[in-house]
Amino acid sequence: MTMLPKSPPGAKKLGLVIDLDTCVGCHACAVSCKEWNTKGEAGLLPDYDKYGAEPDGVWFNRIHSYESGAGDGCRTVNLPRSCLHCEDALCVTVCPTGASYKRAEDGIVLVDADKCIGCKLCSWACPYGAREFDEDAGVMRKCTLCIDRIYDKDLPQAEREPACVATCPSRARHFGDLADPQSKVSQLVKKRGGVDLLGELGYRPTNKYLPPRKATIPTAPREAPTGAASGIGGALLKLLDRALSR
Amino acid sequence: MRPAASVLLLTTLTGFGYGLLAWLGACAALGLLPAGRWLAVGGTALALLFATFGLVASTLHLGRKERAWRAFTQWRSSWLSREGVASVLTYPIAIAFAAAVYRDGGGIAVRLLGALAAAAALVTVFCTSMIYASLKPIRQWHNAHTAPDYLIYAVFSGAVLLALLETAMLGTPGAAARAAALAAAVAWAAKRAYWRHIDAQSPLATLASAIGLPKGTEVKPLDAPHFTENYVLREMGFTIARRHAVKLRRIALLVGFAAPLVLSLLASFSRLPLAATAAALVCAAVGLLTERWLFFAEATHVSALYYGRRI
Amino acid sequence: MCACRCGIKVHLEDGKLRYIEGNRDHPVNRGVLCAKGSAGIMSAVSPARLATPLKRIGPRGSGSFEAIGWDEAMSIATRRLAAIRATDPNRLAFFTGRDQSQSLTGYFARMFGTINYAAHGGFCSVNMAAAGVYSVGGAFWEFGEPDWDRARLFLLFGVAEDHDSNPIKLGLGRLKERGAKIISINPVRTGYSAIADEFVAITPGTDGLLVLALAHCLLEAGDVDTEFLIRYTNAHHLVIDAPGAADDGLIARNEAGRELAFDRRSAALVEAGAAGIDPALAGAFVLPDGRRARPAFALLAERYLDPQYAPEAVAGRCGVEAATIRRIAAEIAEVAFRQAIVLDQPWTDTSGRRHEQMTGRPVAMHAMRGISAHSNGFHTCRAIHVLQMLLGAIDTPGSWRYKSPYPKPIPGGPPPGRPRGPGRPLDGSVLGFPTRPEDLLVDEAGEALRLDRAFSWEAPLAIHGLMHMVIARAFEEGPERIDTLFLFMANMAWNSAMNPGETTRMLSACDDAGNYRIPFVIVADAFASETVAYADLVLPDTTYLERYDCISLLDRPIGSAHGPADAIRVPVLPTGREVRPFQDVLIDLAGRLGLPNFADAEGKPLYASYADYIVRHERRPGIGPLAGFRGADGASIGRGAPNPGQLRRYVENGSFWVHHLPPEQLYYKHANRAYLTGAKAMGLIESDEQIVLQLYCEPLQRFRLAARGHGTRRPPERLRARIASFFDPLPIWYVPLEEAMVDRERFPLHAITQRPMAMYHSWGSHNAWLRQVLPENRIYLHAGRAAEIGVRDDDWVWVRSRNGSVRCMVRTMTGVNRDTVWTWNAIGKRAGAWALQNDAPEFRRGFLLNHLISEYLPKAGDAAPDSNSDPVTGQAAWFDVTVSIEPAGPDSPAQTAPQPAANPLRIKRSPEPVS
Ligand SMILES: Nc1nc2c(c(=O)[nH]1)N[C@H]1C(S)=C(S)[C@@H](COP(=O)(O)OP(=O)(O)OC[C@H]3O[C@@H](n4cnc5c(=O)[nH]c(N)nc54)[C@H](O)[C@@H]3O)O[C@H]1N2
Ligand SMILES: Nc1nc2c(c(=O)[nH]1)N[C@H]1C(S)=C(S)[C@@H](COP(=O)(O)OP(=O)(O)OC[C@H]3O[C@@H](n4cnc5c(=O)[nH]c(N)nc54)[C@H](O)[C@@H]3O)O[C@H]1N2
Ligand code: SF4
Ligand code: SF4
Ligand code: SF4
Ligand code: SF4
Ligand code: SF4
Ligand SMILES: [Mo]
Repeated sequence: MTMLPKSPPGAKKLGLVIDLDTCVGCHACAVSCKEWNTKGEAGLLPDYDKYGAEPDGVWFNRIHSYESGAGDGCRTVNLPRSCLHCEDALCVTVCPTGASYKRAEDGIVLVDADKCIGCKLCSWACPYGAREFDEDAGVMRKCTLCIDRIYDKDLPQAEREPACVATCPSRARHFGDLADPQSKVSQLVKKRGGVDLLGELGYRPTNKYLPPRKATIPTAPREAPTGAASGIGGALLKLLDRALSR
Repeated sequence: MRPAASVLLLTTLTGFGYGLLAWLGACAALGLLPAGRWLAVGGTALALLFATFGLVASTLHLGRKERAWRAFTQWRSSWLSREGVASVLTYPIAIAFAAAVYRDGGGIAVRLLGALAAAAALVTVFCTSMIYASLKPIRQWHNAHTAPDYLIYAVFSGAVLLALLETAMLGTPGAAARAAALAAAVAWAAKRAYWRHIDAQSPLATLASAIGLPKGTEVKPLDAPHFTENYVLREMGFTIARRHAVKLRRIALLVGFAAPLVLSLLASFSRLPLAATAAALVCAAVGLLTERWLFFAEATHVSALYYGRRI
Repeated sequence: MCACRCGIKVHLEDGKLRYIEGNRDHPVNRGVLCAKGSAGIMSAVSPARLATPLKRIGPRGSGSFEAIGWDEAMSIATRRLAAIRATDPNRLAFFTGRDQSQSLTGYFARMFGTINYAAHGGFCSVNMAAAGVYSVGGAFWEFGEPDWDRARLFLLFGVAEDHDSNPIKLGLGRLKERGAKIISINPVRTGYSAIADEFVAITPGTDGLLVLALAHCLLEAGDVDTEFLIRYTNAHHLVIDAPGAADDGLIARNEAGRELAFDRRSAALVEAGAAGIDPALAGAFVLPDGRRARPAFALLAERYLDPQYAPEAVAGRCGVEAATIRRIAAEIAEVAFRQAIVLDQPWTDTSGRRHEQMTGRPVAMHAMRGISAHSNGFHTCRAIHVLQMLLGAIDTPGSWRYKSPYPKPIPGGPPPGRPRGPGRPLDGSVLGFPTRPEDLLVDEAGEALRLDRAFSWEAPLAIHGLMHMVIARAFEEGPERIDTLFLFMANMAWNSAMNPGETTRMLSACDDAGNYRIPFVIVADAFASETVAYADLVLPDTTYLERYDCISLLDRPIGSAHGPADAIRVPVLPTGREVRPFQDVLIDLAGRLGLPNFADAEGKPLYASYADYIVRHERRPGIGPLAGFRGADGASIGRGAPNPGQLRRYVENGSFWVHHLPPEQLYYKHANRAYLTGAKAMGLIESDEQIVLQLYCEPLQRFRLAARGHGTRRPPERLRARIASFFDPLPIWYVPLEEAMVDRERFPLHAITQRPMAMYHSWGSHNAWLRQVLPENRIYLHAGRAAEIGVRDDDWVWVRSRNGSVRCMVRTMTGVNRDTVWTWNAIGKRAGAWALQNDAPEFRRGFLLNHLISEYLPKAGDAAPDSNSDPVTGQAAWFDVTVSIEPAGPDSPAQTAPQPAANPLRIKRSPEPVS
């Protein structure tokens, strides 16, 4: 249904928590996503001009890198960008066909490729650039939160997580129920001050991003020693008074 | 936003069509229809022809044209769906209106159906405008100007078309030309106001907030996810050089509004009213297409922020 | 198993590849995969895959071939190699790339009898390997790993990706989880450095200085683990101080050959390895013969306490503020000594003492090619190991740890084998570990026996050979020296060449009579790489999902600090092409040639295939390629009779085998009795004696003494000064060789490359997914520097070095050392290669920095130029090049230069179907 659903009480809000403090920008999640979804039920993710001048294709997840700040606070930040399964998902309400919909029971936003007419309006409505058009099939594609993995009863429980989460080598991606304050993901968001991307646009994304941090080791500042303690002799003395036993 | 030909054609052609229908209907409702039933009947046919061309053009834009019917289902939330429904409903109303005019040239049925047809035409244009006005990530569209402007341009283009039609069928431009001139002036002002507005707007968001960093953090893109253009960039990352925009804006104003204004006024006095109104129409069409091209080309989408583009 | 070391599960549907996922039980990757791993599905359908053996028909390099059958291909190769072996086996030069079967290829070379064999280690990371195995009996490079679960401070020197990329990423994730501090020392802040808590934008080639300055600070403050030093290193060993004598600088030994120390308690000379002594670390002592000797530590402390190593003295050169160096030293000391880890885990050392606890210094370090690929990398890497030893941060909880089967007795094995004439195998392994001049492979005049001059005075500790010199030397020395150049899995005509333009010229150069300078070239590749076009005979290999392989404990296994492990690869896809696994081909070839241990006395081949060899070959009794499931019943580990069902057992076990060490063996492995005896029993090492860490590297002094005129084996005159200065038994720092020779006013910028995480050198470009991520590259430079030069993002510029010029596009950034420019490695391709279309961005805008790098140093005087390598190990000095940048101007063509002519493979099919 193209109206946003009323979540029943106790409904889940499944989503990803992505740790910008840990993401090394390796593209593993992006490629794994492409691989899973090419094979999976969502259908093919096309590639165009595979071996030619302008290789291009449909991806659900893309990895950017940025430089932020200046001086001591500066940092290189890698940002994996995919659908955030927003609560106020304008991409859903603008859809004229009902192909775009948000599930009441877990909040996942999906495209029904059999209904989609490829009007592209939903991609215009998404501020995150999370939807990509499949030129071959003429329909819109987007991240499915790996719905065909997370509910697959044939998979062992531990493997019922999105492909991108399973593959992330630095474990910067976490999956879970953000409606449950006790879940691992909710706890992480709380502890690490997880944020919304483009919060000011009011889409209320489910996915959260954990901001970069900076570990420090407090020590007393040290100057070059002067006076009696300085010089090779002084230092050696300091070292070698100790009784040593081999 | 990428100015796709299909969408430009859709919005301008339907503007002319529904604008004309709105004029005819409104005139009929007010009993101001010029004498002779053929104007209204022919006009309605022409209006529907324009609208149909526009709608057909718009389906070219679809990835799966054969499923276009599905677009009528989600009128409860989607302006695109509403547009579809409204445009389709307009047909029987317009046809009934035309039939009524044909049958008895005036009377209560004509008045009523005229009012209905005008309303249906304007509602359709309004729905179209709301498709754009409701898109939050595009500040150049998501504002108080978009909807009224669309209506104003439709009314203006309808008037220009009506003036031509009147001249062609009745030999004189009549009041329609003066209405077109007036509408051109209003449209000119509306467009100027719109541009002033979007030029003064500040971006909806910053790159810092797009990537979740604290407000005010300075962020510069280092590497994009891919080197070649992808769908998002092609569709939403379209940019236009400032100097081109300035030039095109001037063209849109002069050709689209100033020239029709002058030509419409001229038509009332000149000895070649048909040529003048025809020229007004051509200018309006060129100008509106330019204006519409700019409406897209100057629109920036928040998602382009991720690629370091200015929004 | 995936392309290199990770475990995968491959899903097929109707015989078609559908999905590859990480094997969650696999000790290497624990279920994760990198981008290349998941993209494997597209490599398996790449149009660049070779399909049949090829025989050259056009001029070399033109790409014109005729498709031939395997019978013909094998008989060409066999005839050629048999003739070589019967006359002078050394005329076969067999060099292999980043494959995982060096225990087989090396063994083939040994049995063939050629000394001219090496794998890619020489241009890769031999500095790390050599410095490690000569210092600590392990190495950063695949032989060690940080204690990811316990480290509190992690210093990462010059790593972008590394061989162990998934384990490193998993590890970084774990450090982050625990809030440990990561300091990345790297001129460029991307990838791992991006997530570091502190980024030290060092000037390339100066890490040695930085590390020695850290050592200076620690020594100055007395923050040194003296207990660790005397128990586990040779810090207290007495070094003979007799300037001019033949044994000056060697360690004093008693008649039994045992090293001596001075015991303060008894005030006498004692065996340094004796337990319960209180050895002196400072002072000077008199040896029985009356000469002076000083503890190694005293020499070390004196050297590094010198003001020339003070932070204030090195700051400018390193591009790192003195206060930062001092702070980092303080943080290291804080964590190592004030936040020491104590585990209540009893263990027994090699002296038989039981310890109730394990004390750890949770400062871990890791380093790779940022250190390695400089001509001062051996000493820089040694400096890092010395720093670790001073802190007691070697294989202790929280520090850097050995990966099984390391530690190994220092320096890791016997010296290189020697040729024994026509038709006979070498008397030892091709590659070995020289410890004295007598171990070198040199002739009477002291000149190199090997083509690449490894193990000569030009590169005495070249334990991985000098692959980057092979083509240049083969060209230079001509057909007298080499008949056949046999290359496997190395793109030697392009991205693994320094100076690819020259390299391809040399590959196709003829003498006056029109004969090729390099008479015959065999290339075994799986894809249409740039090098294939230069082959006379192409042996098309399978791709990694189409063959057996094994990552053997005899080579660079997948063991970890938790215990030994090895793994196999099994074929899951039918090839559908006329290709054969190279290892099968090599074993077939060895059989046809009748090589010992590949054929029986009658010359009948011993092995049917590589799979057969993996199971049945025994290197020493009971020890074969795989350590798991040995013995008739599959119950033995390490040693045991061959088990015919071994491969099946591996497959059932997820295609790997791992042995988990018990907790008491997890640390202090170099002196842990239970560990060492266990390792010996398993056949991992030959001796269970304590492995004494070498703060002071005595073998270097032996070479230096020869340079000073002692002994019978001495360096040729032209190399004397060089050996004397670079063979210092304590780490030194010097300006990288090339940098010291070029005009730095003209070429003020350092130019380096990094591994892109989503590409493997050259062979990601034929992958339809990976090339969407990185089909072209830019030269990155500091935004401030760009402003000075007057260039902006996407401008075309000329990057020039003494060796050449490259035209490419600019990208500016701030997270880069101001004097450094860099780019992604191996993105630029030669038009025609990799089955890409002619307008591919890889050709048009992608570029190789390699065009700027020369395999030779600038000529100094009349002498032939030296190779561009580390003078100790022969490591290729990729990162020593310095450059200038200028705008290419508005009229510049929007295309990269140089732009060699396209040479796509043009294959003539034989009229009859090939068999
Ligand atoms: N500028 C610069 N140059 C460098 C470096 C640098 O840092 N900077 N690094 C150097 C280092 S460390 C290395 S290791 C080299 C690596 O460089 P190369 O040795 O050139 O490595 P690759 O490009 O991975 O590929 C080698 C060849 O193996 C082939 N291949 C792939 N899979 C298979 C297979 O299954 N079987 C066979 N037979 N062939 C296969 C590929 O087609 C390719 O031709 O580059 C070196 N060059
Ligand atoms: N994805 C991917 N992974 C790979 C490979 C690949 O091609 N792709 N290749 C494999 C191979 S063959 C190898 S050898 C390994 C190599 O793996 P790495 O050791 O990670 O090698 P490089 O990418 O060359 O990275 C060198 C790093 O050192 C930095 N650096 C350069 N000069 C200096 C210096 O003077 N000081 C310091 N501190 N840093 C410096 C560079 O900025 C860069 O970050 O990777 C292996 N893993
Ligand atoms: S991220 Fe975009 S596509 Fe996903 S739910 Fe939000 S608005 Fe829709
Ligand atoms: S492209 Fe498809 S999913 Fe998107 S709005 Fe149109 S019909 Fe709905
Ligand atoms: S959740 Fe699944 S579909 Fe979404 S980005 Fe991750 S892998 Fe792709
Ligand atoms: S796999 Fe993990 S580390 Fe790599 S880009 Fe994705 S989120 Fe970042
Ligand atoms: S590092 Fe990547 S490509 Fe190499 S084996 Fe692991 S997953 Fe495969
Ligand atoms: Mo390498």
